[in-house]
Amino acid sequence: MSTKVRRVYGYLAEFKNASQLYKAAEKVRDAGFKKWDCYTPYPVHGLDDAMGVKRSVLPYFVFFGGLTGFLTAIALAYTTQVGLYPTVVQGKPANIFTTAAFFPVMFELTILFSGFTVLFGLLALIGLPRWNHPIFASKQFKRVTDDKFFIAIEARDAKFSAESTKSLLTEIGGDNIELVEDDSE
Amino acid sequence: MELGLLASIIYLVSGSGEIHGSYAFSWLFAVFFVTTIVLGGCFWTFLHNLSNSGWGTSVRRLMENLGFVFPFMAVFFIPFLFPNVQQYLYEWMTAYREVVGDSANAKEKLLHDSDPHNHLLAAKTFYLNPGFFYARVAFYFIGLGFFIFLVRKFSIAQDTDDNPGTKNLFAARKHSSWSMIIFGVTLTFLALDFVMALDYSWFSTMFGVYVFAGSALNSMAVLILTGIFLQKMGYLKNVVTQEHYHIMGKLCFAFTVFWAYVSFSQFFLIWYANITEETRYFLLRNTENWNLLSLALVFMHFGLPFLALLRSDVKKSSKFMTIFCFYILFMHVLDVYHMVIPERGPSVGLVIDHHPHLWISGSWLGDILALVFVVSAFLFIYLRNLTSAALYPHRDPRILESANLHN
Repeated sequence: MSTKVRRVYGYLAEFKNASQLYKAAEKVRDAGFKKWDCYTPYPVHGLDDAMGVKRSVLPYFVFFGGLTGFLTAIALAYTTQVGLYPTVVQGKPANIFTTAAFFPVMFELTILFSGFTVLFGLLALIGLPRWNHPIFASKQFKRVTDDKFFIAIEARDAKFSAESTKSLLTEIGGDNIELVEDDSE
Repeated sequence: MELGLLASIIYLVSGSGEIHGSYAFSWLFAVFFVTTIVLGGCFWTFLHNLSNSGWGTSVRRLMENLGFVFPFMAVFFIPFLFPNVQQYLYEWMTAYREVVGDSANAKEKLLHDSDPHNHLLAAKTFYLNPGFFYARVAFYFIGLGFFIFLVRKFSIAQDTDDNPGTKNLFAARKHSSWSMIIFGVTLTFLALDFVMALDYSWFSTMFGVYVFAGSALNSMAVLILTGIFLQKMGYLKNVVTQEHYHIMGKLCFAFTVFWAYVSFSQFFLIWYANITEETRYFLLRNTENWNLLSLALVFMHFGLPFLALLRSDVKKSSKFMTIFCFYILFMHVLDVYHMVIPERGPSVGLVIDHHPHLWISGSWLGDILALVFVVSAFLFIYLRNLTSAALYPHRDPRILESANLHN
């Protein structure tokens, strides 16, 4: 028998269906918890409202990402095609009136930079990639990809306590409440 | 409105040839502006049915009523059927009538005419001939007019159906499929026949889709405004929420971008290739003050609306959207003005004193008059349509889904 000390990840509670989970999520939100999450086999409409999740800041990143791409394109096209090495095609001037020729570049780089900001901003905000997640230590959690709904309240949360959090989860209709311990070394 | 009608008649009956010719362009500008919006109504109706959408069931009747103005628009197109109006607008008709006359072999006659300009018309004569022109105009109004009537009829029949099932809904969806094709053909060729044909020597494969982009955008703006005003007067309270305005705002945003994409593509290809037959359109519109209008469209029809609609909360604010929709409609007025009116000076000038002008002084008065008259006539028909049936399909199977919309 192992005697090593394990870190407590938090409580995991199982719910029968989406509507139970939804109502439970509202109660957990109202109890003032911040570090907790819902796990469902499929997207549940309106669950983010029930959880009190705020709007993501990602759109602002994307706006400035797109703006950076736009300005990069202007700088790139203008310095190379007008400043450094003007290429005369079809008798078109190499000056500010050539801007029409740069539009495709501006458009593409705006899209590209916005796209990259979405992808990498999203990964950074949700904390991916990572090797493992402590909640995978739970045996019953495997059924989240099949037919069960879960709420996990993390021990990191300021309101977390071994007794009252457990009784809260029982109160709001959670079954098979389990204290998940981080089993990674 | 009666005043406008009276003034229009006076304009047409009295007045010099210059005023006649100039007002023909004003009329085309005003009628085409309203037609694009109405065609957009047909488009959204068919698209909503065809895509099996649930979100917009609450506002679908508004789309149907907007689209159903189209058959009535035929009345406003009547002046364009007469040669003494056509002579100012469409050079190809004049040339055709002068050279071909009653001859059976139009192509040969035009090809061997002493005026070398007519050789191009000879090549296009399979499409640009008066007989086919009248047949096409009849097809637009009878064809699309009938289908928007039919689809709206299914929707209204649902309201009084004893067994409100899915029968009418499915029928509307089924008939929307090929109505959509009729719509595409009608919008494209109507734009070609009445606006692009102002300069028959011009080539552009983007013109139809360019008109479509403005049409879809601005009919959505009209739908948003109608929804907001109806709610202000206490209608649609239970079925339309800010979520609907959010979706409609998103569609406005999408079509703002699409408009810019398409109109720039049209300009860009012509600008780069620099072929004489194609550049005429933009050369004229980049001459002197027209250039200001062209530039204004870039920044005010695309730049400003694009930035303004980026945030999601502004699309949900009815106050902001009211201002925005009026603004974008005004931009559409300028857009259609930019399509139609620059041709006026050269065309009318050639008929009057055989000399092309850039601008005919005082003609803007006729533009405003025609616009006010045609828009008020449009509002009259649109509001009559709105009152002729329930404001939303209250027995539609998906009305609850639409009322509880969340996105």
